[in-house]
Amino acid sequence: MAGKKGSYAGKILRVDLSSGKVEKRDLDLEFAHKYIGGRGFGSRVLYNEVPPEVGPLDPANRLIFTPGALFGTAVPAASRTTATAKSPATDMFGDGHSSGHWGSLLKSAGYDQLIIQGAAEKPVYLWIDNDKVEIRDAKHLWGKSNMETNESLLETHGSREIGTLSIGPAGEKKVRLACVFSDGIMGTFARTGIGAVMGSKNLKAVATRGTGDVGIADIAAFKKAYQDYLQVISVDPYVPPATKYGTCRFMYHRVKFGIHGANNWRLGDFDWRPLDPEVFRSDYQIKASACPMCPVRCRREYRIPAGKYAGTVTKLEWETIARCMTCGVNDPEAVIYFSHLCNQYGLDVEGMGDTIAFAMECFEKGLISAKETEGLNLAFGNSDALMEITRKIAYREGLGDLLAEGTLRAARAIGKGAEKYAMQVKGSEMSAGDPRGMPVRAVSYATSTRGSDHLRSNPYVEELITPDEGLQHFGSREAADIFQGIKGKGKLLAWSENFVTIGDLLGLCKFAYYRSATFGYLRRKGVELATRFYNACNGTRLSEEEMLEAGERAFNLEKAFNVREGAGREKDIIPERFFKEALAGGGPSNGAVVDREKFDLILDEYYGSRGWNEKTGLPKKETLEKLGLADIAADLQQRNRLG
Amino acid sequence: MPATRSAAGAARKGPKRRVLYVSLPDQADRICSGCETCQLMCSLEKTGAFNPKKSRVKVLPLAVGVTIPVTCQQCEDPACQKACPEKAIVPHPKLNLVVVDEKKCTGCQACVGACPYGIMAYDPEKKRALKCDLCEGNPACVQYCPSKVLELAGPQRSAEINRRRFAAVLANEDTAARNNVAGAEQIKTLPRTLTLLAAQAPKAIAEGGR
Repeated sequence: MAGKKGSYAGKILRVDLSSGKVEKRDLDLEFAHKYIGGRGFGSRVLYNEVPPEVGPLDPANRLIFTPGALFGTAVPAASRTTATAKSPATDMFGDGHSSGHWGSLLKSAGYDQLIIQGAAEKPVYLWIDNDKVEIRDAKHLWGKSNMETNESLLETHGSREIGTLSIGPAGEKKVRLACVFSDGIMGTFARTGIGAVMGSKNLKAVATRGTGDVGIADIAAFKKAYQDYLQVISVDPYVPPATKYGTCRFMYHRVKFGIHGANNWRLGDFDWRPLDPEVFRSDYQIKASACPMCPVRCRREYRIPAGKYAGTVTKLEWETIARCMTCGVNDPEAVIYFSHLCNQYGLDVEGMGDTIAFAMECFEKGLISAKETEGLNLAFGNSDALMEITRKIAYREGLGDLLAEGTLRAARAIGKGAEKYAMQVKGSEMSAGDPRGMPVRAVSYATSTRGSDHLRSNPYVEELITPDEGLQHFGSREAADIFQGIKGKGKLLAWSENFVTIGDLLGLCKFAYYRSATFGYLRRKGVELATRFYNACNGTRLSEEEMLEAGERAFNLEKAFNVREGAGREKDIIPERFFKEALAGGGPSNGAVVDREKFDLILDEYYGSRGWNEKTGLPKKETLEKLGLADIAADLQQRNRLG
Repeated sequence: MPATRSAAGAARKGPKRRVLYVSLPDQADRICSGCETCQLMCSLEKTGAFNPKKSRVKVLPLAVGVTIPVTCQQCEDPACQKACPEKAIVPHPKLNLVVVDEKKCTGCQACVGACPYGIMAYDPEKKRALKCDLCEGNPACVQYCPSKVLELAGPQRSAEINRRRFAAVLANEDTAARNNVAGAEQIKTLPRTLTLLAAQAPKAIAEGGR
């Protein structure tokens, strides 16, 4: 493998768990340069191979792992792998993204993508040792936590230099909030219930050893881009708080706008002070950690020294804190312990927080009785109840069995109007901050191709542009007005979605490339340097516009997938609560609602600038053809699903 | 071996022994973050491709949140050199250290097993041992470490670092722990290039934090 000139490994690995067949196919470089990698590869394969007739938990669903195109190189923060499958949460397009070592080991083993299809009859794990691929018995691993599974696999394969993917008990039980974890708890493919897909295939884990090189075409260009990247992050004011506090720093952002969404997205302000980033840093943090190759170092592991959770050591990100507040919990030790439980059971903290908050509100409103909770006092702020119901969901016990289906399905089963307390979009629970008062954010949650998601669109762009930049790039000075602006917002959102997608194609972390204090730094990192890194590693000459178009192509692919599943404009909507109930509890956004009229106007402009039909939200034929997706346009035309 | 000896002898009159120091206790931010940039930059510098297996520096994960870069200690009396049946580990012509002569190396891995720090690497494709040569005095790992944990230090700087570590231990155990300094007992037995095993977050390791 020596002398390889480019960051692609060169092969696609396909494993059929039903037949036990293993297939290796050469990577077509034309395909590679069109879809780039990561999310682009995953989306294309999913569209090709999973038609609407296939249910998410059917053996015919695909579980696709694709490391970003630059994963395995020393490009800063290139450490993300995409897991793609039809989602058990949304019944539409689903994916999750994770850092960890596994992706680079897959590349070193010689593969750019792992496609898993079929289902094993009994629990198995996959052992990929360079050329050798084996399906092995996993009876001894079944029931184990992610950390235990990882340790056991490291032991079995006699080396710490392997990478693993695994599911915890929740994935085994096909909980629709289950995740896949990378290397113990190093990274999480969190959203859209990918862990349940893995569980439905009876696949407990994937262990991988790779010893080959990941190549590079132009070392001098790479080193130059590397120095330029370091230069940008050394002056970007966004970076130091990330290095100091990790993602806990986002508390200050939420406080600034008063958009906590506490107690199931009702309170804008909340007693957040016990959860101040400084508390986590000085009382619990072990040290500043980093994902592979990252100079920003915002990963954090925390340790609880004393008290009832003494000795707990786990990884925790901002969203865990945010979702604990959604459940009314503001005890930092409870937050860390909740993160620990979710990591061990293999659950998505965002989906879990919202689902439990939904149950708490139903309990408060009398839609779930004490008998149904088996005596558990599911009151907002009761951290003991939070832990117990988390366990019940993981093992599908009692009320947990119902909640394991996620908010939307649980709400439909409960009936009695419970659906209005289910805070979800397309069946996937809310994440990040409350959108009331910030119309673009509201629309971005609706247009995300995998259900409610802030990382799909990066709506923060509006917070850092100047009116002049708004006019120059998005056609209106209003684009820079967070609260009142309408014109230019749809265009901004479409651009921002294409922009952050680049990160998912290349495997770049969004915090390291797609957040900044100014629009100039943001574009420099997210487009210019990302493109230069790709070209340096692969000897290509992609322009920045072509890279943005690759992002647009992947986004349209996912949109087309959802459209083929039957979703149109009616699915691009946020929960009614955001339109009708004013944000309460005080704070800067107190009393705010999402103005439905503004929401629709921005959505119209968004569809227009995407080249989709403004009324139906369906992609137009010429838009797909322009992006090189003529076959998809033809498929949708046949199904009468074009705009 | 008179010829090589005289060449090395001449070099010894120049800049003295230089060693890679790890995990300076200067400030909390200068702790290994586990990003492994050093590994890939080492392999890029030495092989022109990315491969942690071919790196001369290894980042060792000890527990959740605890990682230590382990580097070649550039021993005074190298075990790798003594173990080599081919006499393929020879003095560097300029620096005060030994290097692998790729022409003589047969890939038997005797040195890999003999290194007391487990840091002799092996290239499975070329079938050759890999040893750190400090990149001719400008190591890639030092250049690219984002946490500035690695430092190439000469004797003056070495003395300064050692004094500070030792003083911190004397001052009190708590400070020592907070600054990730090994106990005085450990300092005595540590190799000259202080790779502070178990010095980061000692409590987490002691309690088997996972």
